[in-house]
Amino acid sequence: MMPEYIENLVNGIEHSFNSDPAVSTPRKLYELEFVKLGRRLYRNEGRVAWCGVMAPFDLLRAMDVTSCFVEFLGAILATAGVAGPMLQAAELAGFTGDTCAYHRAVIGAAMQGLTPEPDFLIGTTCPCTGGLAALENLAEIFKKDLFILNIPLNDTRDNIRYLADQFKAMLEFITQKTGRMIDGDRLREVVENSNRVGAVMRQVYDLAKNVPSPITSRDLSSFGIAMPLLFGTEAAITVAEGFRKEFAARIGRAQSGVKNEQFRLLWLQNRIMFPNPLEKLLEEEYRAVIVVDEYNSINWEPIDPADPITGMARRTMSDPLNGSATRRVEHLRKAAIEYQVHGAINPCHWGCRQGTGIRGLISEGLKEIGIPVLNLELDCVDSRNFAEGQMKTRVEAFIEMLDSRRSH
Amino acid sequence: MNPTNGKLIGFACGYTPLPLIHAAGYTPYRILPTTAAPDQAGQVLHENLCPHVKRILDRALSGDLPELEGVVFINCCDAMRRLADAYGRVRPQDKTILLNLPVTTDEPAAFFFNQQITQLLHVLEEWSGRAVSPDGIEDSIQQYQQLARSLDELRGRVKRGSIPGGSKHMQAIYNQAATGPIELTLTQVRQLLAEPEQPDPIDGRVPVYLFGNVLPDIEAFALFESCGARIVGENLCTGSRLFRSWVSEDSTDVLLRLARGILSRPHCPRTIDLKRPMGISREIKAEAELSGARGVVGHIMKFCDPYLYRIPTIREHLRLVNLPLLVLDGDCTMRSFGQHRTRVEAFIEMLR
Ligand code: SF4
Ligand code: SF4
Repeated sequence: MMPEYIENLVNGIEHSFNSDPAVSTPRKLYELEFVKLGRRLYRNEGRVAWCGVMAPFDLLRAMDVTSCFVEFLGAILATAGVAGPMLQAAELAGFTGDTCAYHRAVIGAAMQGLTPEPDFLIGTTCPCTGGLAALENLAEIFKKDLFILNIPLNDTRDNIRYLADQFKAMLEFITQKTGRMIDGDRLREVVENSNRVGAVMRQVYDLAKNVPSPITSRDLSSFGIAMPLLFGTEAAITVAEGFRKEFAARIGRAQSGVKNEQFRLLWLQNRIMFPNPLEKLLEEEYRAVIVVDEYNSINWEPIDPADPITGMARRTMSDPLNGSATRRVEHLRKAAIEYQVHGAINPCHWGCRQGTGIRGLISEGLKEIGIPVLNLELDCVDSRNFAEGQMKTRVEAFIEMLDSRRSH
Repeated sequence: MNPTNGKLIGFACGYTPLPLIHAAGYTPYRILPTTAAPDQAGQVLHENLCPHVKRILDRALSGDLPELEGVVFINCCDAMRRLADAYGRVRPQDKTILLNLPVTTDEPAAFFFNQQITQLLHVLEEWSGRAVSPDGIEDSIQQYQQLARSLDELRGRVKRGSIPGGSKHMQAIYNQAATGPIELTLTQVRQLLAEPEQPDPIDGRVPVYLFGNVLPDIEAFALFESCGARIVGENLCTGSRLFRSWVSEDSTDVLLRLARGILSRPHCPRTIDLKRPMGISREIKAEAELSGARGVVGHIMKFCDPYLYRIPTIREHLRLVNLPLLVLDGDCTMRSFGQHRTRVEAFIEMLR
């Protein structure tokens, strides 16, 4: 089912690009790269590693390992509208609906033999306990070896060294599995590509900060969380450059993403993965645009090619989801100020303790700088209980509140 | 003997290095999630966080805590990490420290945890204003090891049904050991062990193995007994898991030994043994079989990811050895626990 779906998607997008170059927007190019990644996974091209969100995907690429975080598969299932039966399968096997649906969807699919089979798994302690537990389950289902990266909460020198040493141990683990050693030249190339894409992504984000913003709510949706999967490749640079060119051109033409932009919004953590009317409602009814997703930022310095592993460890630990609430709240406040947002929307994904557990502190932290937060109770993957009417009402009330604040 | 300053250091996780707190002159005080404080933590955190952390935060919010010199948090899971964040926010005046706990138990992880507890040592020295010697730490470790061995002996008596009050009594001792001076608990346990074994008057109850996270309420154990169960083995975070001895190793570095020891004890499912993924299922199966139980009860906090993600495999492993499993959702109140009575009774009936 999924291999055909993905194959058709790739063919469909490529066909439309060939027949009408005008449809090859940066977003479409971006989507094409991710469905191609999905296809590589389902075709079991090369060695496949299923990972935690914070795995160093470019380092894995340097070892010619096709890798992705398992939540990516969960997101694909939800976007394809087929997560429901997978969730049900996992629930029937005893995984309660109180766990994160990204994981339940993948576990359910794996139990039914509907996912590609990994050669090995690499778990990361950040961002969440559930993600690691899901990987342990998947290792058991597939009877494959699991390697775990303990990501310390704070980036002291000792902690960076500890993580860097684990990256080195991970390389040895991969060598045991694949028989391949890390190649210095290949690693250098991958690092240079990652540095280049990081630099272009920074420029893309800077362009998105323009008032009015050249972006639509869709353009960079889930961009910052997904792009690391392409780090180290030329394709990632092409995708990022496509956005940069497009946004610069829109600014040059004085064209905003949403005509007559009225409200600028910050979206926290994950987008809603299944089709829903909220973005359209925001843009069309209220001229409100999501100018920034929480993950859309580059928080790391370029990696020194002479000491890439340390640089990658530093990059991992710089992620705002790692560490204390204060750090994450600071990150959000900075984004809110830089993007000049009027409000923030936090989809409190049921089952995500690290995300929802910080909800109160985020609301408080943003309120202190005058940014109201709308907390939506929903599940970003499981559409079965999505209360569309209620969500719309809450979004409408929120925007009206923003409007009344502005007129006072 | 380490001189105690009579002050308390709060903690909330079973991985806390208690001997270190003791060596610094403090009494470790487990902030148990039992309270009459109003239920308000969900507003700071979210309703979908485990009741263990919510009740602890409720205690902090309502001032339902003894005077604490400081609190040691451990990032054993997302919920605990968020508790540390929220606690700092609601009681900014309190001294706190958050320790990183690795998920794995290998040597690099032990070295890393060693660095963490070394940092804790420095903080405790700063809080108490006095240096702690390696001998002092060694001395405290020995006391805790002794307590663990004595509690082990006592557990044997509970299993044989030869201690009045059985598992209720045992839990009362655990609670005291987790919140009061170790010296006092050690004396009481020794006295108990010096008494001749007495057969438990209530017999004919069904042997059951109990596992889970937090269940400090003695009434819960009374309820199990009144439903016809005899707890013959237990693996709870507020029970034996906090007080198990470990094999002493020859490293001359006392803190490294402590780090290795804590990581090597039977653990919470949040810890992963890379050589044996889902090791928790095998551990529970082996312990349940060894205890002679006829059935297993898992008492799991609602929203506790470390357990929720492992229950299917635990159930599967127990099924292989014909041990039925009853899973009870916990919310740290006896009110909800009472609602489980019918299910526990039916389960025990089925096991007869
Ligand atoms: S939504 Fe939360 S629990 Fe789910 S994968 Fe993401 S961080 Fe983990
Ligand atoms: S009960 Fe579970 S979720 Fe709660 S603190 Fe303990 S391990 Fe974490």
